[in-house]
Amino acid sequence: MIGQAGPTTGRTLLYVPGSSFIHRINPLTKLVGLAWLAASIFMLPPTGMAVITAIAFLFGVAAGAGRTFVKRFVLTLLPLAVALFVIHGMLIERDDMVDHGLISLSPAGLEYMFGIFMRVAALLTVSLLFVTTTHPAVLLKALDSHGIPPGVAYLISSPLLLLEPFSARARAIRDAQQARGLDLTGSWTARAKAFPALLIPLVTLALSDLDQRASVLDGRAFRARRFRTVLDAPPDHPWETWARRLLLVAIPVEFGAMLWL
Amino acid sequence: MRFDTRTLVLMAIAIVINVVVGQIAVWVKLPLYVDAVGTVLVAILAGPIAGAVTGVLTNLIWGLVSDPTAAAFFPVSLVIGLVAGIMARLGWFKTIAKTVVSGIVIGIISTIVAIPIVVYMFGGVTGAGTDFATAYLVAVGQELIQSVAIANLATNLVDKILTCLIAWIIASRMPSRFTSGFPFYQRAGA
Amino acid sequence: MALIDVRALSFGYGAAGPLVLDRLSLTIEAGERVAILGGNGSGKTTLAHWLAGWLPRPGMEPRGGEMLAEGRPFPQWSALDRATAVQFVGQVPMQQLSGFAFTVYDEIVFGPGNLGLPAEEIRARAEAVIEACNLRHLLDRDPFTLSGGEQQRLSIAAALVMRPKILVLDEPTGNFDPESRDSLLDQIRRLPADLTIVLCDVALKPALAVAHRFVLLDEGRIVADGSAHDVFRHPAAAAVFGVPAVAEAAALLRAAGRWPAAAELPLTLAAATALFREAAAC
Repeated sequence: MIGQAGPTTGRTLLYVPGSSFIHRINPLTKLVGLAWLAASIFMLPPTGMAVITAIAFLFGVAAGAGRTFVKRFVLTLLPLAVALFVIHGMLIERDDMVDHGLISLSPAGLEYMFGIFMRVAALLTVSLLFVTTTHPAVLLKALDSHGIPPGVAYLISSPLLLLEPFSARARAIRDAQQARGLDLTGSWTARAKAFPALLIPLVTLALSDLDQRASVLDGRAFRARRFRTVLDAPPDHPWETWARRLLLVAIPVEFGAMLWL
Repeated sequence: MRFDTRTLVLMAIAIVINVVVGQIAVWVKLPLYVDAVGTVLVAILAGPIAGAVTGVLTNLIWGLVSDPTAAAFFPVSLVIGLVAGIMARLGWFKTIAKTVVSGIVIGIISTIVAIPIVVYMFGGVTGAGTDFATAYLVAVGQELIQSVAIANLATNLVDKILTCLIAWIIASRMPSRFTSGFPFYQRAGA
Repeated sequence: MALIDVRALSFGYGAAGPLVLDRLSLTIEAGERVAILGGNGSGKTTLAHWLAGWLPRPGMEPRGGEMLAEGRPFPQWSALDRATAVQFVGQVPMQQLSGFAFTVYDEIVFGPGNLGLPAEEIRARAEAVIEACNLRHLLDRDPFTLSGGEQQRLSIAAALVMRPKILVLDEPTGNFDPESRDSLLDQIRRLPADLTIVLCDVALKPALAVAHRFVLLDEGRIVADGSAHDVFRHPAAAAVFGVPAVAEAAALLRAAGRWPAAAELPLTLAAATALFREAAAC
């Protein structure tokens, strides 16, 4: 079934198959949740962000995606934390710098760093939660059944599906060019020349069957009607409709509260 | 319904190219992203709106397959597509020299759009090599915004010029049988 | 009114490109099974695209003549009507995947979904083609991970599920190994009798398995139209697709004078066996 491990999971997508609570929530609800967070990160205090991060992380682990989360944390958050610490904690001149021997630290700078870091962490964790528990096919069906234009859905599904075949083609072109003497490890100019030598054949090949693909789509009445019949759309429960409405309403309410307080 | 099917297919392929090009850059070990070749190509062939949509969706897809924080830079990709399309309409992709100028313009504008995101979302940090330059500039007393701008501008300019040149080469080598289906490109001339 | 009526059609790519179709005329009635045979460069694929409504396109207009389907050119048809009138299955399986579906089942129901048919009708149609094309065990797979043969079966299923009146196939078994080829041709032959089938191919054998009427295409013109033997006798035929081994053996026999001179050269093994027995009995 869609949602189970396939050739694209683990390699192309960040999606982790599973049947946890989060997995089973309708993708639209999750999307609105993510949108709510994206809007709220500029309005909630850092401690609130920390709480959200922790909760999302726990849900992520419960959904079976712990390894993905940790990997992304290390790859994205760690360098961010280090760079933020250096730039804001140490380097930027602020009024309250305290000398600790070799380096001077600024508590205000550190507080600023913490704020930024927590914001990014919260956004990353919640996005990861969304992405690891929502297979794009299910997301697109949810959107499709709610009236997203088929053209937009196509622009999301087609690249995801073509990613693996295209990467394979890119590798084949690289191997063929190397067999013909292309140098990938030489001087700067050699490598700079190698880049177009790899890219241009790939793009030309990719575009060569554009007419065919377009004709196939038209031949199957693509976008002939405004709405399609969608089979097996993910289930949507009444509580989710209310949750979405609540989250969407919360955004201007928070905004108002922030201005007022 | 706004875009015809051929344009949609072009955009889908361009999005994949944008994502895959990142891999090629790794093979060649160049400190460049050149991750907007598809966006600029679409902009040249089908106009600024198509280019902008291609850029935005590339960031979205990138967020789904690799790093969700990269999706935060979608305004930058949007602007690249938009500006490239406008430059193409004004005829600034007709010759190599003009394409280089387009690359410079796109490089500058995209850096300007990127800076607020880098500074206010990420505290001035990009997680890439330019952070060292930023740190250095801050250490010698520059303001954060200026440091970020200067550090990123140089790489961005080279990156965008190369991107525009590659897109121009590809577009000009397309057979007329192919490009005749893209009326926007005809108007800009080859 | 003929189902398809090609009238002195002349067409070339680009304003100054060479003519690919040269004043070509052809009529096809409903229910016919026609094989259009021709070598590479004969205009076969281009003609197939015309018959399937993929041409003319903006920027690709005919230089002369026209093609009518049920009395009207395809550009005058709505996209919906055209999709239910004619479907095309091409040579390269991966090019025919919509890019919209993550599973084989979704690929099959993509077309009917676009037509806006009710869900129950779509499921019923899908069941029928899944059985006919032997795709039951592949339904949850990503279409892009299937083998070429499986993708081709999927393309045919996706075409049939639209219930077209005409099915146009362009070298559908070109990339296949012999067993899969026979299996696919068998499947095509067993399609409903009221479906008009046009099979374009460069080899004689697939056409023999499916078609009742044979047309030979050479340099954008139809040079023979009738039975398989009519095509086979034409001087251009041997150059185009060689001679089946069976017929070649028979030709050698005839040249050696050990052959009933009046008999036709056999094209299939069954015809050859019957003929040789007859010859032996004389």
